[in-house]
Amino acid sequence: MAVFLELLVNGISVGAVYALIALGFVVIFKATEVVNFTHASLLLAGGYVIARLHPLIGFWAALAAGIAAAALVGALVEFLILRRAHVGSRGVLAIVTIGVDILLTTELTRQIGTEVLALGDPWGDRVLRLGPVTVAETRVVALAVAAALIVAFLLAFKFTGWGVAMRATAEDAETAALMGVRLGRVSLSAWAVAGALAAVAAMFLCVFPTPGLDRGTTAAAMKAFPAAILGGLDSTTGALAGGLIVGVTETLMSGYQSELAFLGRGIGDAAPFLVMIVILLLRPSGLFGTKEPARV
Amino acid sequence: MGKIGTRAGVAALALLSLAVATSAAGCASGKATGGGGGAGAAAGGDGVKTGPGVTATTITVSALTDLTGPYASFGKSQTQAQQLYFDQVNAGGGVCGRRYELVVRDHGYDTQKAVAAYTEVAPKSAAIAQFIGSPMITALKQRIDGDKLLTIPMAWATTLLGSRAIQVTGTTYDVDMINAVEFLTKEKGIKSGDRIGHLYFEGDYGESSLNGSKYAAGKLGLQIVEQKIKATDQDMSAQVAAFKAAGVKAVLVSVGPRQTASLVGVSLAKGMDVPFVGSNSAYAPQLLATPAGPALLKDFYYVSAGTPVSAKNPAMQRLVADYQAKYPGETLDSGVPTGWSAAMIVDEAMRKACEAKDLTREGVLNAHRSQSTFGGDLGTPMNFTFFDKPASRSSYVLKPDKAALGGAVVFREAEVSELAKDYPVPVG
Amino acid sequence: MSEPTPTAATPTRDTPRPLRAALCIAVLAGAVAVPFYLEGFWLQAGLFAMSAAIGAIGINLLTGATGQLSLGHAFFLAVGAYSYVFLSSDLGLPTPLAAVAAVIVAGMSGGLFSPIAGRLKGAYLGIATLALIFVGQHILFNAEPVTGGFNGRPVPPMELFGFVFADTPELVVLNVPFGSLERLWFLGIALLAGAAVFARGVLRGRPGLAMNTIRDHEIAAGVMGVPVARYRAGVFVLSSMYGGLAGVLVALVFQQVVPDYFGMLLSLDYLAMIVIGGLGSVAGAVVGAAFVSLLPQLLTRYSDALPLVAEPGSGGVSPAETARILYGAAVVAVVLFLPGGLAGLATRLGRVRLKELRWAKSAPAPASRR
Repeated sequence: MAVFLELLVNGISVGAVYALIALGFVVIFKATEVVNFTHASLLLAGGYVIARLHPLIGFWAALAAGIAAAALVGALVEFLILRRAHVGSRGVLAIVTIGVDILLTTELTRQIGTEVLALGDPWGDRVLRLGPVTVAETRVVALAVAAALIVAFLLAFKFTGWGVAMRATAEDAETAALMGVRLGRVSLSAWAVAGALAAVAAMFLCVFPTPGLDRGTTAAAMKAFPAAILGGLDSTTGALAGGLIVGVTETLMSGYQSELAFLGRGIGDAAPFLVMIVILLLRPSGLFGTKEPARV
Repeated sequence: MGKIGTRAGVAALALLSLAVATSAAGCASGKATGGGGGAGAAAGGDGVKTGPGVTATTITVSALTDLTGPYASFGKSQTQAQQLYFDQVNAGGGVCGRRYELVVRDHGYDTQKAVAAYTEVAPKSAAIAQFIGSPMITALKQRIDGDKLLTIPMAWATTLLGSRAIQVTGTTYDVDMINAVEFLTKEKGIKSGDRIGHLYFEGDYGESSLNGSKYAAGKLGLQIVEQKIKATDQDMSAQVAAFKAAGVKAVLVSVGPRQTASLVGVSLAKGMDVPFVGSNSAYAPQLLATPAGPALLKDFYYVSAGTPVSAKNPAMQRLVADYQAKYPGETLDSGVPTGWSAAMIVDEAMRKACEAKDLTREGVLNAHRSQSTFGGDLGTPMNFTFFDKPASRSSYVLKPDKAALGGAVVFREAEVSELAKDYPVPVG
Repeated sequence: MSEPTPTAATPTRDTPRPLRAALCIAVLAGAVAVPFYLEGFWLQAGLFAMSAAIGAIGINLLTGATGQLSLGHAFFLAVGAYSYVFLSSDLGLPTPLAAVAAVIVAGMSGGLFSPIAGRLKGAYLGIATLALIFVGQHILFNAEPVTGGFNGRPVPPMELFGFVFADTPELVVLNVPFGSLERLWFLGIALLAGAAVFARGVLRGRPGLAMNTIRDHEIAAGVMGVPVARYRAGVFVLSSMYGGLAGVLVALVFQQVVPDYFGMLLSLDYLAMIVIGGLGSVAGAVVGAAFVSLLPQLLTRYSDALPLVAEPGSGGVSPAETARILYGAAVVAVVLFLPGGLAGLATRLGRVRLKELRWAKSAPAPASRR
């Protein structure tokens, strides 16, 4: 039982980080209906700025700079490329973001080179003991931050002008534009916000239990895909739920891999995708996603 | 292009035969050899028979390396060390009246690019002094064997044994792990009945290592708790929880440096204070600068047949000095001596082949396979006369050290454990 | 993307017939002559491009013509490649039969995914197909008796009417030694031509129209009587079969299948190919496949001679990085400046030339040539 609890708590803690990454996907999808593959390189960009600046200006200032930088990169990608792309469908825009991701990732990994960059966070390798269970402090903070951000987004979507514009665009972009919503601005701000979220996620992704930022960091962004989709691509609550489900599934499957050896060892990586398929079969728009009414 | 109509099809066929005829008549093709298969050996002016990759003035040696993928740091030090080696030989007059030319191709740890690069360089190379990546070498093993091209893989899985052309240097991963388990029982108080964890990568690196640890555990009455991960996994919390629950007394580590750092850091933070012993690819000196550094300095060791760059022997010290002179400020990791000794193996084979006046591929392989005691300065001594067993069974136990060059020092001198001596190595 | 307007459609139809035939013959003759002149590196690069082209045609039917994003294409290549090996080595099927069966197995595995493909749409299906990659890799690594695990398995050479596509027995044609690459070259050409002609037929016929309508407006397509769900599932199966065929060819070239190859990056490459080449057309898929699969190989090979590209390991922008950057930039540049992709560009240039040609000809003899 203690093992199960330990794995569960660890799963939730790593799920919090996935939720933060997934939240970035969701914000962009909500505003523009584009699946954003550039998110991986936004993570890398944010993390890189934090890693390079923290010895000079301290961790918190570096974090702020990283958030600003990643937000800027996100906004630039939207403004310079996606806005001007001549394509017919959202699917093609998704492929465009793959191209952008390749460009950014190549340059950033070249800059990072062969180093493993520490982020200089204040939590270090401290752990919190809850009875028999231990969990890294960084992860507790990550969970709190993810929850706080998601509440903030829910409130913002409900009560701010920006949130209303965003929801209106998600509902029906054309009508929203006719009602005076500036689609360009909505989409630009969504990308900037996603960039900022990516930097926050990158920070939690590269601190203890993992050794730091390196060229392999982007791989974790892949795990946020099932997280985002099984929660529902346009639901912020879904991002949190999805992140936690993916984290818990992965951790339990890895932790019990000796007992589950008949499934093949190393099932932890494939398991979140299996869960995703099952959930999508039951609910094609994810757990919290909006159902599209059209049926043909 | 339009659809091929019937008339067009007939015309195309007619032209097709015409094209073939032209190509034959023209014979501007450099490929037309008259059917000797291209492997025909010609004797040069100096009476030395030559094969592909050898001309009257140059010997071409290739390096298929990874400079942009996951093993970029290793690939870079190896390539630079080999460049340094061949430059020095050339400066000293070359070998057999010929100069070395090193052709470097970066495949970025991508199988298709590696296969493409091999196809490109193989016909014009006399040897491959460096080939990174077991999946890539495995994909090409048959062809390398068929081409009789002396190849030094930078991977130490047992799956690479069994080919006359492929020379795995030093120990294989399983032998290292056997030595590691015996080290744990001798010096870290692990005894029969204990459980030890083994964290390993999916793929032949991890699974070769696991073979070794399982063998040793079986002989010593230990029980292995397995945890398999993928190279993309970053956070080892779940694995640590599983090890902790199983009550392991020590952990073997056959993963990448990043995962090692996470594993050791998380274990200590969670109060699992046990010794860790890694394979030679589990550690990189860059880790010491990260927050995981202190944890690695505590009770982590790794096993390798390669002498660390901090060793106080003259050959190593000369290499370090030369390397630093040519590449100032570059990281000095284990790739430097590894790359250097691989270049040296190729060079020795060429020199021996030159003495026999036969620089064909067959000649080079014969020369190479005639050596039973090689090296010792930069790694444990190797025997090249067989290819179905590792060239060496003796490994160092190394310990991370912040102050040392290359970030590691010798903790226990190289030795062959009792178990490793009689270990039947699985081949292929 | 902007192909289907009637006036702009298929400019080659306006091309005089003899000219078209001559062009075809020239291309074919060129293709036949290649193995007699070029060394193994080029042949292999060409074969990789052919295999990529076949796979890209498949995904272009799905993504380009029907508007359905798929990230799982690499999985179907894996199914094709491994099925071929398993069927011929373990079940002892004759190799050509094994190849055909492998393509069918790939199609069936696409069909097995259809409960999901039919229910999900757009972004949801796109990401759901990611599961194929991750679950597929897990199976490739763990189902050792069938897949050989991390080592993969050797690929038996194709044997067609007693002719073996391998290095042995030795074969010399017109003084040129014919190894496996030279022999496979012709097989590759034939497969690609067949795949292209078939896809062209599909795209030009009723199914093509229906697919484009589904892409452009799904509900309208349904209202007009297109069985949308059936079409979507059908195209998914067809594209999987193309993936399977590409897998068989690439396995024959590799001579050993290894699981690492069939990963996420391969799927992304395929998507980039069709965007760069041109969405929804066969020519686009072929051009894009050639671009994406040849670029890194060429840059690596000629790195010594290129300016701006640093020697590997010297710290500058290495050839592999240059290739990645160019390839990412190509995707971006195409959507910004070249709607219709490289193939669209070629078509437009061709149209201009032909117009000039006709102008010049029609000046002295204004009568219609039709």
